Amino acid sequence: MTLNQEIVVVSGLPRSGTSLMMQMLKNGGVEVVTDHLRAADQDNPKGYFEFEAVKEIQEDASWLPETRGKALKMISMLLYQLPPTEKYRVLFMERDLEEVLRSQETMLRRLNRNPAPHEQMLEAYKIHLEQLENWLKGRPDITILKVGYKALIEQSQQQAQRIGEFLGRKLDVDEMTKAVDPVLYRNRGQTGQ
Amino acid sequence: MSKVTIDPGLYDRAKKAAETAGYSSVDEFIAHCIENEMKRLKVESAESQVADQLRGLGYLK
Repeated sequence: MTLNQEIVVVSGLPRSGTSLMMQMLKNGGVEVVTDHLRAADQDNPKGYFEFEAVKEIQEDASWLPETRGKALKMISMLLYQLPPTEKYRVLFMERDLEEVLRSQETMLRRLNRNPAPHEQMLEAYKIHLEQLENWLKGRPDITILKVGYKALIEQSQQQAQRIGEFLGRKLDVDEMTKAVDPVLYRNRGQTGQ
Repeated sequence: MSKVTIDPGLYDRAKKAAETAGYSSVDEFIAHCIENEMKRLKVESAESQVADQLRGLGYLK
C-alpha cells in the first residue's frame, strides 16, 4: 500500500493541539478533511477543522475510503471505532494533562456546562490513555507518531520535519511553522485555554 | 484473611478452572479473577467519564 492510500488521522484529547496540527498539515500541503460546520470561536480562533461524520463512524464509515491520502481529525476516544479495513498514520497530540483539563474546564464553562470534578477527570484521562495505548498495540493497521504540544510550539521547525518524515511526504516546513503562534499558545498555557 | 461464601457448584467449577489454568490454589485463582474484574470496572468507569466529558465539549454524539 502506498502512502497516498493511507489515511492521516490527527488525534489526541480535545485541547491537546489537534486543531493546530490540522492547520500545520494544511499549510504544509496535506489535503485536510473538514466540513467547516463548527465555526472558529474564542476557544479555537483559527477553526476546529472538524468533520462531523467522524462522530458517527461506528454507524457509518462508508465515507472513509474517500479520505485516503488526506488528513482528518478524530479525538482519541473515536480511534477505537476505526475499521481495520484501511491503513492509518496517526499523529497523536500529547499535552500536559493539567493544561488539557484546565482548558476543557474553561471551554465547558463558556458552554454553560458544569465540569466534572478535576481530580476525578484527571484520573479518568490517565486510565483512558493507558487503555488506548494498550489497545493500539493490537492494531497493526495503525502507525502512530506522538507529538508533544510543547515541542510543537517551541521547536516547530524540527517537529514539522519529523512529521513530514513520518508521513513520508515532502511538506512545506516553513509554511507549517507559520501556523504556530507562540505568543497565543504561551498565553493559552498560562490561562488554561 | 477474610472469607467469602460462594455456591458449592461454582466453587467446584472454579477449582477445575484453577487446576486447568495452572493456579497453585483455587484461592489464588479467585483472588486473580476479582482483581481482573475490579480493574475492568475501573477502566469502564473511566472511559464512561471521559465519554461524558467529550460529549459535553461537543466532540462526541
